[in-house]
Amino acid sequence: MALWDGVRGRIGRFKRYVRITEADEVARRYFVMNAFDGSLTILGIVLGTSLLRVREPRVVIGAGVGASLAMGMSGFFGTYLTERAERTRELKKLERAMVTQLDETVWDEASSFVSIWAAFVDGASPALTAFIAVVPFIICHMGLIGFETALAASVVLVFATLVFLGAYLGHISQENIPINGMRMLLVGIFTALVIWLLSEKGVETAAALITSTA
Amino acid sequence: MPKAGARIVRVTKVVLDVLKPHQPTILELSRLIGELAGVKSVHTVLREVDADTETVVLTIEGPALDYNVLLDVIRGCSASVHSVDEVSVEKLDEGVH
Repeated sequence: MALWDGVRGRIGRFKRYVRITEADEVARRYFVMNAFDGSLTILGIVLGTSLLRVREPRVVIGAGVGASLAMGMSGFFGTYLTERAERTRELKKLERAMVTQLDETVWDEASSFVSIWAAFVDGASPALTAFIAVVPFIICHMGLIGFETALAASVVLVFATLVFLGAYLGHISQENIPINGMRMLLVGIFTALVIWLLSEKGVETAAALITSTA
Repeated sequence: MPKAGARIVRVTKVVLDVLKPHQPTILELSRLIGELAGVKSVHTVLREVDADTETVVLTIEGPALDYNVLLDVIRGCSASVHSVDEVSVEKLDEGVH
């Protein structure tokens, strides 16, 4: 019971920090932006390796997990340092207005907490969305599904993630949720198309089309 | 333990002029003070609003106010007391501890 009270107290304090610094808006923005980054990056890796006729799931898993980790690290440390600088600046501005030091007060604690919170959201969101797309290749590596099925499942998962992110944006902006979802999906399809066009097969097809029309 | 003949007085009301950031709100500040032991009521009036700060007047009443604890809570909310505008104390009957 005491443990539960402690957890509840801590959650209440975190909520207060988020409210004070208005960090929910920042975290929301970071979440969508970086989850989107993660999805498109992994789409590039999955399609890129596949178009190079790589049929080895280990290669996609290695590249995908490596990219997830790198995006996670880059997101976490990049955001932490940026947010910390911004929050320190804000705290100093408030200290000037208050004509007093605000060390060990709620603003000081909230500023430190929010830098870590934003960094966590920024680091975890691209790593998570990228990892989701790698899961089918892990199943493929375990021998449960074929490579082509894993590839299709991975692309579907990326597209589903994009639709979810678009729908979430629609929910935030209180606009049409399906339209926002579809809009985000179109970006994914466009990216996939560009990757395909730049591949050997895509170049061959485009050349054949140009020759036939000439 | 007071000595014989010593007089025990308790602070029962303070009116404080406080400068605070917009966050935490006066609702939150008042609630935090209201949760303290010895506080019976908190009445907060917003007097002035600036770009980053606001000035409020807190009227805190209770059977036994601990001024230092009040200051800790106010300071913890990133606010600072500009002046103590009013104080009420009550003397307990001598011999009553």
